[in-house]
Amino acid sequence: MVNESLAQTSNTLFNVAFVGYIVAMVAYFFRLAFTQVTAENQVAGTAAGRRVGLTGTVLASAAWLVHLGSVVTRGMAAGRVPWANMYEYSSILALGAVIVGLVVVQRRFGYGHLVGFVLAAAVLSMTTGLLLFTEAGPVVPALNSYWIKIHVAAMMSASSIFIVGFVATVLYLVKDTAERRTADRSGSAFSGSTVGAAQAQAPADARPEGYEADAGAPGGPAVAGPLVQREALSPLLFPLVPAAVVAAFVLIVWRTPGIAIVAASVAALLGTASWYAVPYLPPAARLDNLAYRTIAFAFPVLTFGVMAGAIWAEESWGRYWGWDPKETGSFFTWVLYAAYLHARSTHGWRGRRAGWIGGIAFVALMITYYAVNLWIVGLHSYAGV
Amino acid sequence: MSVPTDTTPRTDAAASRSTGPRLPDIPGPLETLGSAWRRLRKMSTALLLLFALAAASVVATVIPQAPVTPQSVAQWRAGTAGPGTAVASGLDALNLFDVFGSWWFAVLVVLLFTSLTGCLLPRYAAFARVVRRPPAAGRNFGRLSHAQTSTTELAPEEALARAERLLRRRRFRSRRVGRQLAAERGHWREGGSLLFHTAFYLLLLGAVIGKVFGFTGQVTIPEGSAFAETRIAYDAAEPGRWWDLSDHRGFVVTLDDFDVSYFPNFVPRDFVSTVTISEQDEPVRTETVRVNHPLHHRGMNLYQSSFGMAPHIIVRAGNRVLLDERFMLAPASGQNVWTGTAKVKFDDPSQQIALDLALAPDAKLRDGQPVLGPDPAPRNPVLVGSLYFGELGLERPVPASQFRRSGPPVDTTMLRPGKTAQLAEGSLSVEFVDLGYWSGLQVSHQPGRWILLAGGLLLLIGLVPSLYSYRRRIWVEAGPHPNGSRVTLAGVALQRKTAFADEFAALDEALRRELDAHPAATQERPH
Repeated sequence: MVNESLAQTSNTLFNVAFVGYIVAMVAYFFRLAFTQVTAENQVAGTAAGRRVGLTGTVLASAAWLVHLGSVVTRGMAAGRVPWANMYEYSSILALGAVIVGLVVVQRRFGYGHLVGFVLAAAVLSMTTGLLLFTEAGPVVPALNSYWIKIHVAAMMSASSIFIVGFVATVLYLVKDTAERRTADRSGSAFSGSTVGAAQAQAPADARPEGYEADAGAPGGPAVAGPLVQREALSPLLFPLVPAAVVAAFVLIVWRTPGIAIVAASVAALLGTASWYAVPYLPPAARLDNLAYRTIAFAFPVLTFGVMAGAIWAEESWGRYWGWDPKETGSFFTWVLYAAYLHARSTHGWRGRRAGWIGGIAFVALMITYYAVNLWIVGLHSYAGV
Repeated sequence: MSVPTDTTPRTDAAASRSTGPRLPDIPGPLETLGSAWRRLRKMSTALLLLFALAAASVVATVIPQAPVTPQSVAQWRAGTAGPGTAVASGLDALNLFDVFGSWWFAVLVVLLFTSLTGCLLPRYAAFARVVRRPPAAGRNFGRLSHAQTSTTELAPEEALARAERLLRRRRFRSRRVGRQLAAERGHWREGGSLLFHTAFYLLLLGAVIGKVFGFTGQVTIPEGSAFAETRIAYDAAEPGRWWDLSDHRGFVVTLDDFDVSYFPNFVPRDFVSTVTISEQDEPVRTETVRVNHPLHHRGMNLYQSSFGMAPHIIVRAGNRVLLDERFMLAPASGQNVWTGTAKVKFDDPSQQIALDLALAPDAKLRDGQPVLGPDPAPRNPVLVGSLYFGELGLERPVPASQFRRSGPPVDTTMLRPGKTAQLAEGSLSVEFVDLGYWSGLQVSHQPGRWILLAGGLLLLIGLVPSLYSYRRRIWVEAGPHPNGSRVTLAGVALQRKTAFADEFAALDEALRRELDAHPAATQERPH
């Protein structure tokens, strides 16, 4: 049965990882703050920024290992796979998002200064997990199948990669807006968006290797050019919109003004950070590419997960597809992500429109996951809190 | 979400007259058809149709769906829940309580498949042409995105032969054209995409076959009883349109035993029905049916779907047995109690007898009143019977629990298993023989699921290369040089250009190693 001391260890490790992520996130945002744009239009960090950034990477990696320990001990405590309720699922979503952030965004694409946003998403996911906390325990018979390993694991992997894809999509839309506006202001003939250009000719180098290399250069006066991008965006909208959305969400779901204020403040902070970061973000075309690569990676996994779910439903409930709210929701999400992939190769849709579809698809994914479990009664309801 | 309305009514006709994109340029209905067909073939139309599909599924998530939650739909229609009867009748008019069974959803699916067909047919043809065409010779390598020149001591012939081996190892299709080697790779991108989209026809076919030839029914059996696999035995059934009464298998399923076990925190651990299947009165197999472990027999699948308490009750009037039955009780919502109503005697409308039953699996009696505990396992069961007598209206075609209660029960009793109580001054006796279970099984026949599985597999097999593979062409040209030969490697990719840059660099290095070549510094081209 449930091993209480192991379950306790798991909870402690979860809290340690949670705090670790928050501190690492702050470090990454410091790194962003110490970032400058050099005369060659290269994004570069100062020496101090590099040190703080390294601290953030070390902290995030360590916290990730602790988090992994939390998930493993949770599974051992309950004697089953550690993804059978929403607390566990949210926890693993964060685990997956952080590792994708560190390995793909930072190492493979070289956008280390963006990992702070991924960590923020992970912290958000873990917070929801904490709000839905359930003690380690056995599962109802319907979940007691090897398909939980296949179906749920596929869904979790896909979702955590989609988190990173969503972060990239949002940053892309922000950056693209800034690029367009500055292009409009300078009266340039160039349409503004780098995405159109990217379709005609890909960036010669998707990994700005010079980033760390010229980091040692003393922070000379930042060039006005890229910083104009920040001025092109309203500094009020960035904190206010996320704060309002998050506050409304928390108020509707949990009806606790205290938590709503805290969450809204965090969201406002994140919004301000992304406003501040606009000039240092990679060009919109590259962010779009990052979003596309992550979403294109997760989409087959999601497809497989939905199919595995259908096979499991056939085995468990005697029908492979019954338009249960969860099934409808996952269909909805799948169609939207499919539309994103199609839109990206359709003239007149690629670029911002595709980006919006990608963003909406992620919202659909979150609705399918949270809302359907929490408020809509269906066969998947037992998987609830 | 606007489906282009001008195409909607004409699509079927457009589909049947799929004369291709080039119709004679005459005004009139044919041209309209042609333009409708052309518009339907556009990717942006397909996108709009996908959005419409997504919107339909949002509606189906928000509004209760009759096939999934019929109770909620009934409440919405009655106005006891939801936005009210006026809105509900409006929703009904648009079939919004059964989105996925509605005519407009079917139209949407047909439009989407027509659009898909329109997109795919020319792509099949183009793909067949492209795949059969051998790699073409290249010119003006300097204009390509990637070109590297190096010198080697090997003769041009030998250099090309080695390059050919290298490219073959890297699974390029290559061809010699004079002093050139032309190679290409990545047809799986388009091939995978075609496979992915073609798989949807299989999925549609499998779903339609399952819908038309399939059968799903629910049956409840108390322990010790049996049901014959015939239409009449089912409490509820959803036969497909072409599922015939004679398609029922007719075997007999006897529920020998049902067992439910719980974890200490009262979460159910497992539900197990032990059943014996008989064919022509001969028992053929005895198996268990558990959640996630259905039983397959002659194309019919039996699934564990529900269960309940079933006390064995005997009601006697003197020596005459009025009722002797393992009576199936339903769970009372929110309480650890099972309830039901037994029609004890209903032949004479004015002298009917009904027994309201309530069973608490975990009950302690304190001062003659039952105190309910949380344990769902019947370790301490008490059966409460309330007797009603008179004109109860039991002969009406309504559920037994809806009989006419004009006042309080005539008599009430509380029984432990094995005990008998005298009711109504000894005129009736109620015996609670023992406590058992009933089990609810879902029985279904699903043809077409293998087609669906095959479709799903093909879809996945096609999806991955369609996203990851990319078309690229490579040329190797070898010309004479004072020390041997001068070799140029050039390449271009149609998609994923950054991935190709890495591949090209690796290929360049491998080729130089293979040819023992040195970069021709003066000839190197910037890229």
